[in-house]
Amino acid sequence: MRLTVNGIERELSTPPLDTLLNALREELGITSPKAGCQQGGCGACTVLVDGEPRRSCLTPLVAVDGATVTTVEALGEPGNLSPVQAAFYEQYGLQCGFCTPGFVLATTALLERSPNPSREQILEDLAGHVCRCTGYVKIVAAVEAAAKGDVSQAALEAGASGPSRREPEVLVPVSPA
Amino acid sequence: MKAVGARLPRYDGVGHVTGRTRFVDDVRIPGTLWAKALRSPHPHAGITRLDTSKAERRPGVHAVITHEDVPQNVYGHLQALGVPADEPLLAVDDVRYKGQPIAVVAAEDEATALEAVELIEVEFEEREPVLDIRKAFDADVKPFHQWGPAYPHFGPYTSRRIRKGDVDDAFERADVIVQGVYRPQAIEQLPIEPQVGLSVPEPDGRLTIYSCTQAMYFSMGVVAAHLEWPLNKLKFVGGTVGGGFGGKVDTATETITALLALKARRPVKWRWTREEEFLCSSTRAPWHMELADAVTSDGWLLGRKMITLHDAGAYTRFSSYGVTKHSFHHTGAYTIPNLRFDGYVVYTNRSPTSAMRGFGVTSVSFAVEIQMNRIAETLGIDPLELRLKNANRIGDLTANRVRLSDPSTVPVVLAAADRIGYKLAPEFKQMTSEPRSGDLLPDHLLTSVTRGGGAETDGRGA
Repeated sequence: MRLTVNGIERELSTPPLDTLLNALREELGITSPKAGCQQGGCGACTVLVDGEPRRSCLTPLVAVDGATVTTVEALGEPGNLSPVQAAFYEQYGLQCGFCTPGFVLATTALLERSPNPSREQILEDLAGHVCRCTGYVKIVAAVEAAAKGDVSQAALEAGASGPSRREPEVLVPVSPA
Repeated sequence: MKAVGARLPRYDGVGHVTGRTRFVDDVRIPGTLWAKALRSPHPHAGITRLDTSKAERRPGVHAVITHEDVPQNVYGHLQALGVPADEPLLAVDDVRYKGQPIAVVAAEDEATALEAVELIEVEFEEREPVLDIRKAFDADVKPFHQWGPAYPHFGPYTSRRIRKGDVDDAFERADVIVQGVYRPQAIEQLPIEPQVGLSVPEPDGRLTIYSCTQAMYFSMGVVAAHLEWPLNKLKFVGGTVGGGFGGKVDTATETITALLALKARRPVKWRWTREEEFLCSSTRAPWHMELADAVTSDGWLLGRKMITLHDAGAYTRFSSYGVTKHSFHHTGAYTIPNLRFDGYVVYTNRSPTSAMRGFGVTSVSFAVEIQMNRIAETLGIDPLELRLKNANRIGDLTANRVRLSDPSTVPVVLAAADRIGYKLAPEFKQMTSEPRSGDLLPDHLLTSVTRGGGAETDGRGA
């Protein structure tokens, strides 16, 4: 089996009927797609196959032979985040982080297809992704911010040299901060 | 105080959005074996035969463990606090819940481990399960637990007891008695990251354990106890948890991967499937709560009698601690001078229950708040004014003898009313948490508030 993964062409020895998830995680060591339920129910294993979100836990490797696969590792890196990554980071669209790669990829594909999605469209498109921490409000806010380009330069450059050292922005005026 | 009220970037956010955060399942150690468990297919059965030899001989299998491989097989989650232990790490003579682990295999890969589990020969003698906490005490039900139908170690008692004031007198004086039964059900915490652990034998004889636990030092103690090892031979790596919500407080994978790693002399990873999570990971407990309140027609709560049955599942784990917390909160955010509470930790043949977001308190808060509405409805008075009238005030004494110095019931109810545009009578709108006086210090509260009220929390232990 051959795949172009994050821009690099790969020859894989994972058996053709094994899952794309196992090929990525166990053979290539690309660990951002997560084994959440391995039943197609949670969305944590989502990757982009030729630009479209796919559940890698339900995708036999043979079904994507020759395809181009993208994971969050290739969208951006610390210090140089993609706008969607920066928006999730800046809008707190994450807590434990386990479902985050799936949400970020699904959002990336959505905005590619539909740069100005309505709120209903966002909810509809992300409905297959389960997050148990956030309650989704901040995730939707992150998608909306990414769509509007409402992403700060600091967020795009976050992680350039370890944790941010910038002064906190004061939200509550009476705070002693 | 620079952080209070400030918008701070998440320290781990960049790792999360770039896929660089390393969860336990993402740790790569060359030569790692996969673990799979033989689990009980029955909620209750005797084990009449267990033979792992075929599994051990299968190529690709490096270790199989049963209870015989565990230096200290029975260890309780609260043993360090003096609570006796009742749960085996691996089943011995019987299984008491569906999914209980009996033997665990470590093999080259996941498929080989699964095949090896199939080769373990096991025979059961099925027994009648207890599945309903309300039937556990019935005369014709034979308790399956060695301690009987309920946890018997609340000091000398089989229930967590609270006795305060004179509850019989309160019920004599009541105008109305309002009763309610509340039964919230089990909930799976369902973090997206399933239970996963990885134990690595080190050349110096120590073990490195990668853990998704919510309770690092607790888990370390549990592993050390089962292994009969000193703590300094264990190195735990944790703190990156893919969701927990209480579901990763019990030690699930660490001890078993440690034992397999020591036997196989190879790193061993055990990642549960989603089916295993639903079948046999700990859940929030089902509860059965019966309340009877002695109230006056003008809305004073004179006394409460309450019985709680907490479904512990097959073993105790943290249940006695959860019921103790539950008992402390059984008056909710309100002051009731005369109390009689009994909370039972009841054993059933279901997976052991544990923490979830407000362990023991969520259930009782649900019951108390619905009960307050029921009282208001019965008396025909405003439900918020009923709450404000009976609200905890500075100087009030809680069920477990805590003298309140900073109660928040009044400001919280007022703020909630304000947010929803709820109209309150002026005397309620102006209410504060200040100590009771005047109309808010009726005779029935005089003793309780001013003299200590003779509250008794019976029983020791968690």
